[in-house]
Amino acid sequence: MRQSSPLSTTGAGHVAPDIFAAGGRRRRKWRRTLFPYLLVAPAVLYLLMITLYPGVYAIYQSLFDVRFQGWTWAGTANYERLWNDREFWAALGNTLIIGGIALALQCALALLLAYHAYRDPFVRGWRIIFLVPMLFMPSAVAFIWKLAFNDGRVVSDLLMRAGLVSDNIGFLSSVWLSRMTLIVADVWQWTPFLFIIFVAALQSQDEEVEEAARLDGASWPAIFWNISLPMMRPVIAVAVVLRGIDISTMFANVMIMTQGTPGGSTETISYFIYRIGFKTFNFGYASAISVVMLIATIVIAQVVVKRAFRSGSTP
Amino acid sequence: MGKFDRLSRRTFLHNSVAAGAVGGVGSLLATPLRAASDLPDPASILADISISKYVRADYRDLYGMSDDKPIWDDSKDWIRTVDWEAVRSQLSGTTVRFAIGAADQESAAEGLVPFEALSGITVELVPIPDDSFYDKAVAEFISGNASFDALQFFSPWLGDFAAPGFLIPLDDYAAKWNLPLDDFYDTYRLNYGFFNGQMFGIPFDCDIQMVHLRKGFAEQILGGPIDKWNSVPTYDELVRITAEMDKIEPGVAGVGLLGARGFWSTYTWEHVAAQAGMMLFDENWNPIFNGDAGMKGLETVLALSKNAIEGFAGAGWGENRAAWLGGQVAANISWQDSGTQAMRPDQSQIVDDFVTIYEPRIAGGTFAPPNIAGSTSCVASTAQNPEGAFLMLAFLTTSSIMAMNEANANGVAPGYRSVLTNPNLQAVSQPAEVWGKSLDYAWCAPRLPGMFEIEQALGNEINRALVGQITAREALDNGAAAVRAIMDRNGFYGSEPPVDFAATAPGMWVGKGRDLPF
Amino acid sequence: MMASQRRKRGESRILRYLILGTWALFCIVPVLWFLSIGFRPRTEIITPSPIYWPTFSLDAWWLLWGDWPMGHYLRNSVLAIIGSVLIDLVLAIPAAYSLARYTYRGRDDIGFYILSTRMMAPAIVAIPIFFLFRNMGLLDTVWALMLVYAAVNLSLVTWIIRSYMIDIPKELEDAARTDGASDLRILWEIIIPAVLPGIITAAVIAMIFAINEFLFTLLIASTRNAYTMSVALANFTGGSDGVIYNAIALAAFIAFVPVFIVVVLIQKHLSRGLTMGAVKG
Repeated sequence: MRQSSPLSTTGAGHVAPDIFAAGGRRRRKWRRTLFPYLLVAPAVLYLLMITLYPGVYAIYQSLFDVRFQGWTWAGTANYERLWNDREFWAALGNTLIIGGIALALQCALALLLAYHAYRDPFVRGWRIIFLVPMLFMPSAVAFIWKLAFNDGRVVSDLLMRAGLVSDNIGFLSSVWLSRMTLIVADVWQWTPFLFIIFVAALQSQDEEVEEAARLDGASWPAIFWNISLPMMRPVIAVAVVLRGIDISTMFANVMIMTQGTPGGSTETISYFIYRIGFKTFNFGYASAISVVMLIATIVIAQVVVKRAFRSGSTP
Repeated sequence: MGKFDRLSRRTFLHNSVAAGAVGGVGSLLATPLRAASDLPDPASILADISISKYVRADYRDLYGMSDDKPIWDDSKDWIRTVDWEAVRSQLSGTTVRFAIGAADQESAAEGLVPFEALSGITVELVPIPDDSFYDKAVAEFISGNASFDALQFFSPWLGDFAAPGFLIPLDDYAAKWNLPLDDFYDTYRLNYGFFNGQMFGIPFDCDIQMVHLRKGFAEQILGGPIDKWNSVPTYDELVRITAEMDKIEPGVAGVGLLGARGFWSTYTWEHVAAQAGMMLFDENWNPIFNGDAGMKGLETVLALSKNAIEGFAGAGWGENRAAWLGGQVAANISWQDSGTQAMRPDQSQIVDDFVTIYEPRIAGGTFAPPNIAGSTSCVASTAQNPEGAFLMLAFLTTSSIMAMNEANANGVAPGYRSVLTNPNLQAVSQPAEVWGKSLDYAWCAPRLPGMFEIEQALGNEINRALVGQITAREALDNGAAAVRAIMDRNGFYGSEPPVDFAATAPGMWVGKGRDLPF
Repeated sequence: MMASQRRKRGESRILRYLILGTWALFCIVPVLWFLSIGFRPRTEIITPSPIYWPTFSLDAWWLLWGDWPMGHYLRNSVLAIIGSVLIDLVLAIPAAYSLARYTYRGRDDIGFYILSTRMMAPAIVAIPIFFLFRNMGLLDTVWALMLVYAAVNLSLVTWIIRSYMIDIPKELEDAARTDGASDLRILWEIIIPAVLPGIITAAVIAMIFAINEFLFTLLIASTRNAYTMSVALANFTGGSDGVIYNAIALAAFIAFVPVFIVVVLIQKHLSRGLTMGAVKG
């Protein structure tokens, strides 16, 4: 069997007649090295189209003052305005605070639940119950909690019956309470997501290490903390990255439940961009915000993604 | 979200029962271009535009409504006074393209069938997204090739559309076809219809904000039956009694307020501040609303908010309406539909337990019931069939159909004297009498280019004050700065402001110089 | 066997079931309550005190199917989701194969690029995408939704399938090559069947995320032509009727049930897919 170029990893190619040997080999070599690029090209091109074109367009538009009568050149005016815009920094802060707390809470809860669930075959059958919140549309979940907290006063009522409060609670009038309603909605819906990932990870861990530790007299919590948890690190990283991305773009909950009330303290960056673009029609400014967030995201993506996946699944 | 998006689009015939009765003349979609001779006799079509065909059966039974007890005046009802034969001879066979909010496509189609039969004009509906109606409409205008001839929209945008010349003046058509403009209350005609001294729109959904009280609670505090003018004569008194009413029943708060971010808060503040005598601008278009009157208004709203339902800071029209109709508040400061819809048992828990009163006064202020929001109907300047478009809009806004909208409590409200003073209409619309009498003194924000942005900016600041993040003074000062910037961007401080103050001033407060009604 | 060994040496089962049970209740009770909202008259939803034992009513059901084009919303959701998942599979399977089984310069960078597109927050590209589709005349079409959902989920689908492909023993491929099969044939006839469970899992996960997509859909869709269930819900708050909770609740369940059924069928594979290969076996 004729061997092709050493660069190829796939082994032998087709047999070619001797007359065309030299040229044929070169063609085959090109085809073979090109092949993996061709495989991945459609996906990459598609993504480039959806991310590159809008990115370039956004950058272009952000340099103008976009009015209905026309676009006037504004240079960096939009960016300067952004730098000084109290509402922008507030939205950024809100996103970090609300998102950070929600993510931390989800992770902790999911780990706690996974710890208790993974060793128990009885639970496996009931696993589907834990998945239910995740299967609702986010807008539906937002309405559930809007009704429970605000319009329908269910939470207030239950707390009153339990004797913990004496009057209906104004969730929307308090900065932290209204943030809490958003956090509860997100945690309720997405803890299950993390939960099943963590359970799968725990169940696939090597039994024998645990057995050995157990024989040495270690308690289950200690085993979990010192052995299982560290082994789960790549999985936790995957989960946190995935959920972190989605939380940082929290929109539906804000739009349906609070619209940023009170006074903008629950306005996330997504809602801020939407409001600027579609309620003040200031598309040049909104594009500037988008560009800034795009750059920030790319930077974070480079750092986080590379670190998270380096330790994980690269073969 | 709710009222803003759908205001101008719930035309009528939401109930398919009524629509079915009207549909006998033929479906909109299958309508071919008609020759004048094919069309049925106008009188027979007009006879079908009646209470028995248009008003919901359950409401008709509830209030004993019938065609013998008309709720409008035929002599002022444009569709019954216009010469349809003249219309047909001039315009039959033409087409009008009507931009309609997407949600109301079907009800509009049904409602326009009689118009097509009467006029011989075919109507093509152009659905436009409700959420981005403003943006889409303007984009169409700018392209110079708008895909519609006529549109109905939220009236505060009249300035934004009229100033750049996107709409055509309608004065000539109104004169030619005898549109009963004088039957409109001045505040509606001037503010929803006119821009810079010219007529650009026909008022459609005619709004007013009012004060509503729960009878049971209020009578308990006041110690007797409620007198609409005298029982709550001042806002200080309103603050006092809402504080008392707040304590009566655990689940019922003293008052409902629209305090959400954006224009909801703006409207609530404008409502009260107008009673304190607040005007938004001086004759050079400088914002002066952060003066004493504006402050007094905001301070009063803040005082009321102490007795307000716990979710007021996030309440837009939808939330506020639900809380009022569900019985969660003892008083409400909101549009007139709070007074009408609360009468309907299928929507309300508080039927027979509420009353709408006259606007409370503020010492040192004025009597200026607020004409806020509303919607208007206009013709695009690039319209292919402007006259046909005008006629269609005149049909949709005619007093009989508007009266029946009110009877159906579907949120679309009439602005005609002949309707609001009609005793049969008053019997089915509880606030009508107070509403009608208040309109001659109404306050209204001027329709300027940039007004939509202004209302948002102001409202966000006011919301911050309502939740205690900033003081009232800071809110209004921030608001004034933001408004000034917006006005500047729209050219108000240059050599030629886009709007003439003198032409617009009369509409800002039609009560100026009038004696108090009582 | 192993699990029961673990259980035997477990500590208090009471504590475990208490914690898990509480959470399970917290998951289910709001759902059941919301279901009860769907089956009651409107006047029993917003009241001074919440009503826990409402009267039964099918008002919302008739409202949904009568007054709203629920059929259109469902159709749009289904079309957009299926279309986008198909696009994703067509693009992702070759890409995943390339990332999983080949070594070449720039492979890791390409892989990271694909993954990082997941971080393109909708808000960031929403406005340019809105303009893009507007200029292309694709606003308010299901095609636009398909294209957008496909782009949003492509990274996820690629990486999930990739993780399954990594696990295929090399011998399988080598054997096929010695028989003279071309690379493409190997992909089609050997690799894909071998990772079919992974492909299905990836498709289902993409489906769940596509249903969840809200912001783009909100901006792109404006009429029944393109409104999907997720955005339609948010727009049931309009009109002179305010927020119609019972209709919203029922609509939410109409969307929930098919997803639930599909997930029950593939739940065995779901966890594996979501870890994207970070866990072996």
